[in-house]
Amino acid sequence: MGIFKRAFLYVTRKRGKTVLLFAILLIMATLVLTGLSIWKASEAAQLDLRQSLGGKFDVFVDWSDSPYVVKEPVKDEVDEETGKTSSSFLMYSTVQFTSENIAAIKGVSGVKYCSARQDNLLPFEGLSLFPGTISIDAKYQGYTKTLGVYGTEDDELFTTGTLTLTEGRHISAGDTHVAIISQDLAERSELKIGDYLTAHSYSVEDQGFTGQEIKVQIIGLFAPNVVEQFGETVAAYDKIQNRVFVDLQTSKEFDGGEINYGFSALHVTIDDPRDMARVVADVKALPGIDWNAFTVEADNETYESAAAPLAALNDLVVTLLVVIIVVSAIILALILTLWTKTRIHEIGVLLSVGIRKSAIIGQYLIEVLLIAILAFGLSYFTSSAIAGQIGDRLLEQSMQTGPEGDNDVVSAAAAVDVGADNLIQKSKPAEIGIQVSVGPDDLARLYLIGLAVVTAAVSASSITVMRLKPREILSKMS
Amino acid sequence: MPTLELKNVSYAYEKGKAVLRNISAELETGKMYAILGPSGSGKTTLLSLLGGLDVPIQGGVLFDGEDIATKGLEHHRRNHVSLIFQSYNLIDYMTPAENVRLTAKLDAAPILERLGLTKGETQRNVLKLSGGQQQRVAIARALASDAPVILADEPTGNLDADTAREITAVLKESAHGFGKCVVVVTHDCEVAKQADVVLEIRRGYLKKREY
Repeated sequence: MGIFKRAFLYVTRKRGKTVLLFAILLIMATLVLTGLSIWKASEAAQLDLRQSLGGKFDVFVDWSDSPYVVKEPVKDEVDEETGKTSSSFLMYSTVQFTSENIAAIKGVSGVKYCSARQDNLLPFEGLSLFPGTISIDAKYQGYTKTLGVYGTEDDELFTTGTLTLTEGRHISAGDTHVAIISQDLAERSELKIGDYLTAHSYSVEDQGFTGQEIKVQIIGLFAPNVVEQFGETVAAYDKIQNRVFVDLQTSKEFDGGEINYGFSALHVTIDDPRDMARVVADVKALPGIDWNAFTVEADNETYESAAAPLAALNDLVVTLLVVIIVVSAIILALILTLWTKTRIHEIGVLLSVGIRKSAIIGQYLIEVLLIAILAFGLSYFTSSAIAGQIGDRLLEQSMQTGPEGDNDVVSAAAAVDVGADNLIQKSKPAEIGIQVSVGPDDLARLYLIGLAVVTAAVSASSITVMRLKPREILSKMS
Repeated sequence: MPTLELKNVSYAYEKGKAVLRNISAELETGKMYAILGPSGSGKTTLLSLLGGLDVPIQGGVLFDGEDIATKGLEHHRRNHVSLIFQSYNLIDYMTPAENVRLTAKLDAAPILERLGLTKGETQRNVLKLSGGQQQRVAIARALASDAPVILADEPTGNLDADTAREITAVLKESAHGFGKCVVVVTHDCEVAKQADVVLEIRRGYLKKREY
């Protein structure tokens, strides 16, 4: 008779013990499975939170310490009223981010978006701008903010949903002489996709945009999802509807010189804020970027404060799980040890007929596993009922202790210009769907953990059997 | 060649207090042996050594001329000997038929039938059988294991006189009818009288009487 048959006979004939062990294993499995499902839900909630918040860091020229920062006097001006002379300077970094640098950063694992801009205030011919709410200097009449971008798809205004491309396509790396304007401005100016906008490059001599004529083709139209509220002050050139996006090459041409050949700041969004340190390190390890020129400013505070309650819950659940598993193993081992002592007669009989100790312990293991398989299976339903109730309450409480508003979620301003960017939709935790449910993966984990616990408990309880000699056992029998 | 042989076997539970002293004996198949002796004389110890439940401190136990320790005591217990105890030692969660099948190499049903157990009796809980019936099941288990040696430790100790006689007859039948080497440890002279050979232990020495 094989060990499986013996184990089956024991389990089916010793019903009292079987039912008791089944109940014990069911309780243990329910606790473990409940813990596993809450842990999984907590992990999922944290992941949702991280993904909804994202992580951001800015890389920008270190204007105070960079050895590559140059400050050049441009022109002395004499005040006609006071007669005093004032000097204006041009300050720039000789080391800037190139399109190749940005492409490399975008290739770093975990980087979601990499946004880079140059900005100019310049006048376009034929654009009928929306008026602002405050008056501006006469020399800036007809001017609007023009952003030279690496690509609009990665630009923060688009990635945050502040702007939506409604027609045409985005500006991408490699485009030249293209533009995206607002749908409103296009309508107001009677422009459409395919039409051209005309402006002139900056002339250092004239101190204005009177240089070479540059034409850019409109390839896309955007619509703002947020506009200035009534009463807010905004200059015409800062109005979001008046914004013009152009490619980097065109922006450089508008600039009229070779000083700004790239970008002096980047805004990088990453998938998982937990990876912030690793992503920043990977970016810093990229070849071709002189880090003496730049500084990195990461903002993970929002994520950390929002995730802290969930992380605490997670730690609690993991600790509880470990405790439950260890205590279960100890209780099971104690019960089995007591039962093994009551089976000393049977052990003696089996040994006397030549059955190996390993086969006897194997039989005990199979007996417990036969009961455990059923108990673990049933625990799927019991823990589903319990996990749904306990888990939801625990997680909801954790979420309630999280950050109350989104006011402290700050989009780092170092890399972006001000003005219309105040309208940027702030990152905020998404509505996190807390689903505490027991899945087949939890059940699979339970079976693995259960197998380990049962094996450990049976092994521990069988130590006495392993130590005894057959003669000693038979002596105990008699 | 004897089936089982004790060769200069000595055994002591404590140093200097020998229970068995340099014992030698040859046991053959087809014969029933009775081991007699007063309480504490070492009868059960001798049976344990023959059954591979313990090892002598000196000398050896040979099966078919080979020391049983060579292939291991478990191998010896599994293949060469079958043990019967005073308290029957049946497994309580198995039926008589299942107890017999525990190590059966032969079909259990005809053996149980030959030992006088009905089909109904072989299917019920083993603890619901009488003492005599339980001992028959134990003997059936020994016979079904097809081991050439049956070692019985006080097999009639818990039985009334009539049942003891029946069981002794069954053991004798096992030796003569089934061709086994049956070794019975007993202090019952009636059982010893039925044996072909009586081995008496006194003060650690073995004395052989053949009938």
